[in-house]
Amino acid sequence: MRPSLSLLRTTTFRLAVAQAGVVFAFVLALLAYVYLATVGQLNADADLLAQQEYAALDRAYGEGGIRRLNQEVVERAARQGPLLYVLAESNGAVITGDFQQLPATPAVGVVENVDFNFERIDEEGSAVRGRARGQVGRLLNGPILLVARDLGDSALISGRITSVLWSVAFIGVVLSIASGLIGSWLATRRVEALAATAHEVMGGNLNSRAPVRGENDEFDELAIAINGMLDRLQHLMQVSRTAGDAIAHDLRSPLTRFRQKLEAAIEAPPNSDADREALRTALDEADNVLNTFAAVLKLARVEGNVTWRFERVNATNILRELVDFYEPAAEEQDRSLKGEVEDGLYIHGEPGLFTQAVSNLIENALKYTYAKGRVELRAVRRPDGRIEIAVSDDGPGISPEDRDRVLERFVRLESARSTPGAGLGLSLVAAVARLHKGGLHLRDGLGGHGERKGLGAVLVLPAMSAS
Amino acid sequence: MRVLLVEDDAEMAQSLKASLAADDHEVEIAGDGELGQSMASTGGYDVIVLDRMLPKKLGVSVVRELRDQGVSTPVLILSALHDEDHRVEGLNAGANDYLGKPFSTRELLARVRALWNGRDREPQTKLAVGDLEMDLLARTVKRGGKKLDLQPREFRLLEYLMRHSGQTVTRKMLLENVWDYHFDPQTNVIDVHISRLRSKIDRDFAQSLLHTVRGSGYRLEA
Repeated sequence: MRPSLSLLRTTTFRLAVAQAGVVFAFVLALLAYVYLATVGQLNADADLLAQQEYAALDRAYGEGGIRRLNQEVVERAARQGPLLYVLAESNGAVITGDFQQLPATPAVGVVENVDFNFERIDEEGSAVRGRARGQVGRLLNGPILLVARDLGDSALISGRITSVLWSVAFIGVVLSIASGLIGSWLATRRVEALAATAHEVMGGNLNSRAPVRGENDEFDELAIAINGMLDRLQHLMQVSRTAGDAIAHDLRSPLTRFRQKLEAAIEAPPNSDADREALRTALDEADNVLNTFAAVLKLARVEGNVTWRFERVNATNILRELVDFYEPAAEEQDRSLKGEVEDGLYIHGEPGLFTQAVSNLIENALKYTYAKGRVELRAVRRPDGRIEIAVSDDGPGISPEDRDRVLERFVRLESARSTPGAGLGLSLVAAVARLHKGGLHLRDGLGGHGERKGLGAVLVLPAMSAS
Repeated sequence: MRVLLVEDDAEMAQSLKASLAADDHEVEIAGDGELGQSMASTGGYDVIVLDRMLPKKLGVSVVRELRDQGVSTPVLILSALHDEDHRVEGLNAGANDYLGKPFSTRELLARVRALWNGRDREPQTKLAVGDLEMDLLARTVKRGGKKLDLQPREFRLLEYLMRHSGQTVTRKMLLENVWDYHFDPQTNVIDVHISRLRSKIDRDFAQSLLHTVRGSGYRLEA
């Protein structure tokens, strides 16, 4: 078994972690902003209030001494409000005030800003804890005065806001990582499916294909591309495998005859006429073998990845000339060849291959039709803009179930076994058609001989505009 | 005629040399592209027969560089790769003819002769073989002063035969030069075209001009 992709190594997961980091940084920034906007503002207000109050009390002390100050503190402490007061002796013992402790005992003439927790007894006699901020200072001759603002509810609110923000940060990070894990898990599953296909193919199962979910997403696109590639590879392998077998088969017989002729000539008593005849037939067999090789090589080059130089090809001219070329030979063999070719048919292609493909169709038709038989070549531009070149005969035809098979390389119907090279002609036409982004189909031909319907070989190629 | 044969397969080279020598040619052999090129540029040969796949330098490069050097000796490229694109590449490089392997010795000999006869020929407007005359401008053919009615294709076939009169012309040469077809038809198409042409130019006359050369092709000769 192949180790599956570790989730933590996947690209999607790494992206998710990075995303979580971004969320976290954003929440921190938000936190800082909210803190400054709420808590910071509250503190600044408290500081200002405490400062003003301290200054007022300091003035009262300057005007009326400790008595006046004590009186003021008692009065002010009695008022409803957020301000807290404590007046203590120079040793720190509280004279009067809202609570009994001092957060600091500063030196003479020093005023300190303080932020502290306190505990005091409210009107109902229960202890109240709280937080306050303000100023504590030692006045002239020693007494200590504290003025502070009870942060009370506002501290609570800002504390809550802060804790909510921390929670949000935490949830955000957790969610990002979780969505990253899920996303990468999903992506990993798709990638693993593709990798599994690749491994299966590597293991020798060329029929394996990547799953396509039909969601039209990038993974489907990749899977479709990979499957297309595998189809093509499989086809090529199939082709070369069949070709190998078929070449061996097709070459064996002529080579055997070749050998046998030469051997017989050597064994026989010297006779120059017979020897020459033996050599001539041996030469013919050698030519057969070489022709088969040439046809196979050509087919391989058309089907292979050779880049052919395509050009604008005047199909009308080529087709008419082919009919003109074969017509006398057809007549000589007591067959008729007629061409009906529309004006102005052009294709984008390789003229030599196109010519040879159509000539193969014509020769095939002439070969399989009977004496007094008819062969017709019709070329038209179809409404869909493609060019249809149909070569039809009134010969024995090919039964519909054999038609696909006969287009495969080297497949040759039993009836045609004795004709040398016959297995490659239609395969070459089909390969040339594919090379030109077209196709070759077989259908009924001209009919006319009772049950026999003849054969129509139809080459369909994309047209090029006439201008 | 002096022929330079550039071929790396020693056995093939010897066999071709023997065939060319038997056809009255004086043959020298170069075993690779570089040697072939240096011999070709200094040796004063009449025809160069050049294999396409050669050690040290490819046949196509040899022709291209010879042409760049101003060497205009006719070149025939022999190639196992007889496909349209390779042929066009060879001819564009400056070769005069291109013959795919396998070929028959007669085919090679006919082409070597045709190259030799085709060199430095002045553009002609009139051709004549015996009492057969062709006017290339008026597109007319007369034999013994009598006008013959030829189809355009028959005219081009006859023109090629007349330009190579006295030489053997193979079916393959006719296919390539008259029809520009580079495949072998399975049937005897060329023979039928020739016999139709023969019936027009020879039937009413005592002397036959268009002869069949058994096993090779045809020859137009007075």
